[in-house]
Amino acid sequence: MVRFANLEDVEKYRKGLEAERPEKVLVVSRGTCGRSKGADKLVAALEEELRRAGTNGEVRMRVTGCLGYCDKEPIVIVRPEGFFYPEPKPEDAQEIVRKSLLQGKPIPRLFMKDPVTGKVIEREREVPFYKRQTPRVFGSNFEVDPTRIDDYIRNGGYRALVKVLREMKPEEVIDMVIRSGLRGRGGAGFPCGVKWASCRKAKGEKKYVICNADEGDPGAYANRGLLEGDPHLVLEGMIIGAYAIGATEGYVYVRTEYPLAVELMSKAVRDARSAGLLGENILGTGLDFDVHIDRGGGAFVCGESTALMASIEGRVGEPRAKHIHTVEKGLWQQPTTLNNVETWANIPLIVNNGVEWFTGVGTGDVSKDPWGGSKGTKIFSLVGKVNNTGLVEVPMGITLREVIFDIGGGIKNGKKFKAVQTGGPSGGVLSEKHLDEPIDYDRLVEVGSMMGSGGMIVMDEDTCMVDFARFFLSFLEDESCGKCIPCREGVHQMRLILHDICEGKAKEEDLELLRDLAEVVKEASLCQLGATAPNPVLTTMEYFHEEYLEHIRQRKCRAGVCKALVRYEILGERCTGCGICAKHCPSGAITGEPKKPHRIRQDQCTKCGICYDVCKFEAVTRN
Amino acid sequence: MRDGSASGKAGGNGEIRIGVYVCHCGTNISQTVDVRAVTEYARTLPNVVIAREYKYMCSDPGQELIKKDIAEHDLTNVVVSSCSPLMHEETFRGAVEDAGLNRYLFQMSNIREQCSWVHHDREKATAKAKRLMAAAVRRVRMQRPLVQEEVPVRKETLVVGGGIAGIEAALRIADSGKKVYLVEKKPSIGGHMAKFDKTFPTLDCAACILTPKMVQAGKHPNIRLMTWSEVEEVKGYVGNFQVSVRRKARYVDESKCTGCGQCLERCPVTYQPVKTNGKVPVSIPAEMKEHVDRILADHRGERGPVVAILQDLNIEFGYLPKQALRYVAERLDIPVSRVYHVATFYKAFSLTPRGEHVIKVCMGTACHVRGAPRVLEALENRLEIRSGQTTKDRKFTLETVNCLGACAMGPVVVIDDEYMTLRPGDVDRVISRISGRTVRV
Repeated sequence: MVRFANLEDVEKYRKGLEAERPEKVLVVSRGTCGRSKGADKLVAALEEELRRAGTNGEVRMRVTGCLGYCDKEPIVIVRPEGFFYPEPKPEDAQEIVRKSLLQGKPIPRLFMKDPVTGKVIEREREVPFYKRQTPRVFGSNFEVDPTRIDDYIRNGGYRALVKVLREMKPEEVIDMVIRSGLRGRGGAGFPCGVKWASCRKAKGEKKYVICNADEGDPGAYANRGLLEGDPHLVLEGMIIGAYAIGATEGYVYVRTEYPLAVELMSKAVRDARSAGLLGENILGTGLDFDVHIDRGGGAFVCGESTALMASIEGRVGEPRAKHIHTVEKGLWQQPTTLNNVETWANIPLIVNNGVEWFTGVGTGDVSKDPWGGSKGTKIFSLVGKVNNTGLVEVPMGITLREVIFDIGGGIKNGKKFKAVQTGGPSGGVLSEKHLDEPIDYDRLVEVGSMMGSGGMIVMDEDTCMVDFARFFLSFLEDESCGKCIPCREGVHQMRLILHDICEGKAKEEDLELLRDLAEVVKEASLCQLGATAPNPVLTTMEYFHEEYLEHIRQRKCRAGVCKALVRYEILGERCTGCGICAKHCPSGAITGEPKKPHRIRQDQCTKCGICYDVCKFEAVTRN
Repeated sequence: MRDGSASGKAGGNGEIRIGVYVCHCGTNISQTVDVRAVTEYARTLPNVVIAREYKYMCSDPGQELIKKDIAEHDLTNVVVSSCSPLMHEETFRGAVEDAGLNRYLFQMSNIREQCSWVHHDREKATAKAKRLMAAAVRRVRMQRPLVQEEVPVRKETLVVGGGIAGIEAALRIADSGKKVYLVEKKPSIGGHMAKFDKTFPTLDCAACILTPKMVQAGKHPNIRLMTWSEVEEVKGYVGNFQVSVRRKARYVDESKCTGCGQCLERCPVTYQPVKTNGKVPVSIPAEMKEHVDRILADHRGERGPVVAILQDLNIEFGYLPKQALRYVAERLDIPVSRVYHVATFYKAFSLTPRGEHVIKVCMGTACHVRGAPRVLEALENRLEIRSGQTTKDRKFTLETVNCLGACAMGPVVVIDDEYMTLRPGDVDRVISRISGRTVRV
């Protein structure tokens, strides 16, 4: 493997790689989503087929990480033609290689149909899901095999690092980041450059940088997508940051629930180290910096900076009050800069393309004040009840409607849009009237939610908002570290009230109590986990108040989710007596003779809803 | 009070004759408890010569009923089943006494607060009322006549422990004019608060609160300060205790000592308590020790390695064995509690052995919206365990995880590291498939 002794080596090596660019490329995605849908078998079949076809240097298969369109994973793209084959089977390998790759012919039966318009999509640039996006950070995932540093370098990787080390002083780098208006992609949106500047100024024996990949927000997985797709991009950002701040050691704190991301990031670090991009005297410039990988232990609170640092120090992840900022006393009591994966990944792009390019998209004006707007792009994980689920990168300021309907293709199964949740458990739930709100840090906070790490969970009429709020509280109750009382007890009590509402046992006064409690928890909690915990409750109470009242006054759950308030029945006139419901009923509550209408015995029904799901004749009702 | 026969009769020939009275309390008791049944049942109990029910036992006619029966039926003991003794014990004791019985030959059973008010099921409540009444009957048989008398009490107080609470208590009592002995085992009072800078939640200066009180306690005419002393024995009873306090040797004439502290500085001998470091080495199976030693070696020299070590142990054994945790604590020379603190904090760790197949159900938001709770329920029903448990045959462990980050595929379940989209209807098939697979192996 190559080892770079100086800056020139990198550029020379890149030129060499560019020269051997193969003509035909087969792109296959194999992230976590792809693997779970058989990508391993597909890759093996394609490899075997390529071997049999006896191809040489002009053909290459590139196994990439996540390509964002998770619904359709694994995806095969044939280049240069750009044929786009979603979810092909291993049996299709032969045809893909022989016909499509080698002869450049399309295979129409493998093309996808747009789930909304029904139109056949042939080529990657026509895919509506991608067409409306602005791929910057995530764009290289198509071009890079995450296990190959060469791919990254060929695609312009480590050019930013070379440029910084050759031409820029640390202060200039920081100044550039400040001017770019880049704000923390982890959720709170603190201006990245401002953080760097304070850390550089702070005094300490040693300084640290940390990449926060403890993406605990349920429903968000953009960081995973980046680490699995383009780990060197994140690493390069960290090295540049270390240079700017004066840090000599770095940590990537990645949650243990992301085994593939841990594996790929670890490999990236090893490869960078043996290439001379990490370690002592990086590229002969005298810069010393190395990176360790730390797997979390499965605790949501560890996404909080002080808890994360406690966890790296081998303690339990309990946050502390931040009278003293972590940029002054963080990890091991030394000045520490912690940024989210996506923030680090933006750094090389800003260095390469300049501040003006970066601020070309986004909202507000950051030329004088880094808080003045939201610039650049943001990756969202668009999930829930939309047609196209996946990771989408869009410019700041885009409206929710554009993301959900234009990119996401609207609601699944033709149902009605009800709500969208952003910002994970710290964020809030927004309703239909917010669909035309522009997405940026400040606007989302104004309407009671937040950017968070980019989760965007779309809900349709089958989601009960009270149950949904309860879900977040159970999550947070479970994840509260227990150090401070408002969070530990307050969230618990709030959850109990919501539970009562879902069970039809609540009184209207309980809503007031719930709101009071929420305010206390918000004000008095030690860290942001507690301080933001009431957001899902407060926003659902504000925007879906009538649904709360319905649960309390009429003992009714319009979405049919709250078990205590629903009842399953079989409509005699629709039931054909096929017996499939009786076969699947786990409690044996369904009786009936073949070919005659069946009946549900209410005293035995556990309301699991399986009958409702399996019935092909819509004969089971839920009300 | 002492045993006596000053008042009340003990039954002519020593025979015990009990009267039982069951109260309706309007409808308070009778609406839930079948009072008649309880009364009838009372008649069947040994030594019960008469049992009656009445609307309000506490009323004057009610009390008269008891008095009359005592005279007519020569009762020796009385039981009333009604409300809480806090309400009417005194009433009935009075009535019994009026009729010439010793007031302590009476027993009350509470079938209102502890029975009728808190139950709905009439049948069960009646059964309970019977048992409560029967217990009182049984007990009253053993009661002896008692007499009340007054004894002199020394109005002195002992406060053990001279922390802020002890000091405050001593001062309050002393201010009310009573003598206080304040015993503290350390050479000085003050306790933990003397070590604090500020107090929660007002962040007041701790010393500013404590030191004036320490001085007051030392100077108070009603407080006898006994520092460097320990309570050895407490004898006696409420009102008259006898306490032995050991004042430890101090070799200083306290009447002359000004507390200058010079002796402390001048003394050539420094006293250090001997550490009874009687730690027994942790016992750990040799095979396990080998693995743990290797893992410990992998992390040698790392700063704060506990989390990383436990992660490796968890992978190695599938859970965290107790001996391994104790052994790690010993080798890292940290308290076992610290290792447990970490081991119980993080979700990824399990303290119990897991089954052959680990099923993780994603409870992330996206999966929740797409029905994860129902998937979990279906799995729980199919495997007959709750989340977090392992089946009896150690084949399956069911766990939940807060988001696996495979949100587009929800509801997601990971079985033995294989990710899959699982719907409630598929649960049976998938589990059967895996069970079958195991059998063949």
